[in-house]
Amino acid sequence: MLNILLVDDDSEFSDVVCHIVEFLGHNINTAANLAEAEQWFVNNTFDHVLLDFMLPDGSGLHLVDHLKSIGQKPKITLISGHPSVKGKLAEMCEPNVGHLVKPLQREDIERLLNPKKTTAKKKAEPSIKKHFGTLIGESPQMQHLYTMIERVANTNANVMLMGESGAGKEVVAQAIHNASACTGPLVATNCGALSKELIGSELFGHEKGAFTGAIARKEGVFEQATGGTLFLDEVTEMPIDMQPNLLRVLETKKVTRVGGSRESAVDCRVISATNRSLVDLAQNNVIREDIYFRLAVFPIDIPPLRERKEDIALLANAFLNQLNEENNTDFQWQSAQLKLLESYDWPGNVRELRHGIHRAFIMSDPKGKAITLPDNLESPFSRVNKQTQTNQVTAGQTIEEVEKELIHATLDKVQGNKTLAAQMLGISTKTLYNRLNAYGGIGEYS
Amino acid sequence: MANNDKINKLIHDARGPLNRISMNAELIKLVLENDMPKEKALAALDKIISNCQQCSDSLEQISNLDVVE
Repeated sequence: MLNILLVDDDSEFSDVVCHIVEFLGHNINTAANLAEAEQWFVNNTFDHVLLDFMLPDGSGLHLVDHLKSIGQKPKITLISGHPSVKGKLAEMCEPNVGHLVKPLQREDIERLLNPKKTTAKKKAEPSIKKHFGTLIGESPQMQHLYTMIERVANTNANVMLMGESGAGKEVVAQAIHNASACTGPLVATNCGALSKELIGSELFGHEKGAFTGAIARKEGVFEQATGGTLFLDEVTEMPIDMQPNLLRVLETKKVTRVGGSRESAVDCRVISATNRSLVDLAQNNVIREDIYFRLAVFPIDIPPLRERKEDIALLANAFLNQLNEENNTDFQWQSAQLKLLESYDWPGNVRELRHGIHRAFIMSDPKGKAITLPDNLESPFSRVNKQTQTNQVTAGQTIEEVEKELIHATLDKVQGNKTLAAQMLGISTKTLYNRLNAYGGIGEYS
Repeated sequence: MANNDKINKLIHDARGPLNRISMNAELIKLVLENDMPKEKALAALDKIISNCQQCSDSLEQISNLDVVE
């Protein structure tokens, strides 16, 4: 996924390009002039800049110079309807500066953002359906999720996505945005990543001179998402004392920039996301109750990957196809490998699966077609989580089961030393032997 | 020469709506290929129609310029 900045004063063109680029799976932000573009580069970096040649406050080449002066080296594609620009570009001979002539086509954009994709495009690929252009999976749990997305997409209700880390909350937000009839962009921001000082400016925007460093006016994410969708990721990580400001915007549907006095109307759907459970939300005071009800008009639970194991093979094929396309390779899964992937619990969900496959892809012999899976799929995080999870007692377990787990965990801890384990457990060694005999697990530790 | 500049500017102005038409058509293709809501396609079609009118106006201005010439 690339971070793209589109600099063009034609707002209608920018809107439609945003739709297409987002659909291609990249993040895109827009600037209508040089000043706004330069402001974006104060706190952000971009992989690619699509730059109109003629802007209201100067030539796109000024931005190219500015980026050089601040040491940023994104790929730049100048877009112009003026044939004379070609000559000027030839003079520049910059390796990272390309050029496109209007009118553009989707293939032009695809080629720019993923140059290798077009060459691999002709290969016959097994068709893996992407629901709403983003979601993969045919399990009953996913079918239920698709129904929920369809229902809510037809309304303008705010949605709260709940699911474990890596389950695909941002992808579901994109699916809701795609399925809705809105014409504006999807704007995403991570509330957990913003400092307390900047969160107001990020959400609501600021006027020039509102605080030290505010050298130009900036639109907040609510304004950027006009007519579209605002995705507030990790909303429960927002400092609680900032939440009343958010509540006011949600209630009044009006936003005032930091340092400004004029209110402007908010016209976007808010999709928020959290990886905390409902119990956690209620017990730990991470989100105000009034905000929760405003944001979670329609809560959606995203199922963890271990509850939809039949989708693992589909996802694994889709990820491998994508890596094959990007790298011009032709790796294939063997059915035993897919079975192995299905047998693992994936506590890090789809993200962990994707990273696991990427790791295996890198490890594999580029001359062959076989993917080399690691002996152990577990990541360090999943190992730690598993340990803490196995030590948890849940309602519904029998005393015998808990006792058995405790004995095994203690023996594992002391490498099978029964005398030491008995001491730790506060029982005699004889009792420990008796219990192990009764559970039939003595062989493991003899 | 001044007339040439004027024609160049009018041609540039005509490319704006052409560009929007092209991208909106691409968006409609995406919507149809991916079973997305038809409202998105309809909105893009409306934009195409209005941009055709704008493009036509620009061409009209160019043609008037030629007549004056």
